[in-house]
Amino acid sequence: MTLAVRDGLRNLGHAPSSPFAALDDAQVVQAFLDGRDRAFDELVARYQVRLLNFIYRTVGDRERAEDLVQEVFIRIYRHLHRFDQTKKFSTWAYTIASNLAKNELRNRSRNPLVLFQTIKRHWEADHRPLQFEDSSSRPDDLFRKRHLRELVEQSVSQLPEHHRVVFVLRELEGKTYEEIAEITGCNLGTVKSRLNRARNNFAAIIQPHLD
Amino acid sequence: MNCCEFREKHSDYSDGLLSPAEHSEAGAHLAACTACRRFDAALRAGLDALRALPRVGVSSAFGARLRRRLRGEFAVRVPVIARWSGAVGTLLLVATVGVIGWDLLESRAAHHGRVGWSSTGWSRASTTVAAAGTVPSYPMPRLVSLDPRVEAFHPMNSILIVEDTFPFTGVAPRRYDVPAVWGGP
Repeated sequence: MTLAVRDGLRNLGHAPSSPFAALDDAQVVQAFLDGRDRAFDELVARYQVRLLNFIYRTVGDRERAEDLVQEVFIRIYRHLHRFDQTKKFSTWAYTIASNLAKNELRNRSRNPLVLFQTIKRHWEADHRPLQFEDSSSRPDDLFRKRHLRELVEQSVSQLPEHHRVVFVLRELEGKTYEEIAEITGCNLGTVKSRLNRARNNFAAIIQPHLD
Repeated sequence: MNCCEFREKHSDYSDGLLSPAEHSEAGAHLAACTACRRFDAALRAGLDALRALPRVGVSSAFGARLRRRLRGEFAVRVPVIARWSGAVGTLLLVATVGVIGWDLLESRAAHHGRVGWSSTGWSRASTTVAAAGTVPSYPMPRLVSLDPRVEAFHPMNSILIVEDTFPFTGVAPRRYDVPAVWGGP
């Protein structure tokens, strides 16, 4: 491994005063391909939280989501020289993340042990003592907020896999229909249809609790 | 517009993707239908709560872990490739030279009449070539068919089986009609 690569890896994920901060994604990618390995730090810093939240909301397991985000960056590092730079880097990164998340969900549905371990981790998290986050709010308001938060999280996890990916990309990541179509490999009509069904399902799950 | 149609178009209505006429029709239904109004309100409240969920951050060990994995990925790939590329490349080169060389030898041998494999046939042909000093103009054995069986040459047998398989190509032996000058009947 060259010294430059080693130096580039040293500050991974921490780019407080990155010389690449002012560049757009395409310029950062080009800088990396030109041999400036620290440019990869900038890509990690820009996308680690976004990808983590997307994968976490899709698969429902935070620890596993972080593993999958690592896998995304490894694949990006491995294949960046083949990336079509006429396309948006963001879309490519989310496509890799989406495929890994979908594979994770499919593997879980086939492996009861993995599913059990996930449920057990969530059970333990739910049985922690209630903590008040905001001392200025009334306890019953806090309880309602926490209840609503748990409710919407559970509602998302109950959506079918292909609806959930589209729903999270649209509602939480703010992607356009066209971007979602490219990320998921579906046509625009399918994206709209899945999003509509996801929203209807989501509303149907939470409405009885809000009434 | 009825409730089913409204629910079908609700997503496009929320995102402002309907035509002005459809948007106005959906809006009118929403104003008139209590059930759809409650559905719309529940969905908006749910989406607001969803977007208000705290964003999770990466763990403090994320960067170090990624670094280790990339080092491991990068460190393994280069030495393995470097170790094996030389050997594989050399092997391929030798095999290619061997195939081309054998082909050239075979074509030269065929051109000079050496198509037999029996010692009699070979010696006769080579004697003839040596005596003539030139490439003989004898009619060349005519390819009759491809026959996977290898048969020994028999003086009474007009069919000459030539085992021209290169060890690595596995090409099937060929049958030739052998003119009398080559030892055929």
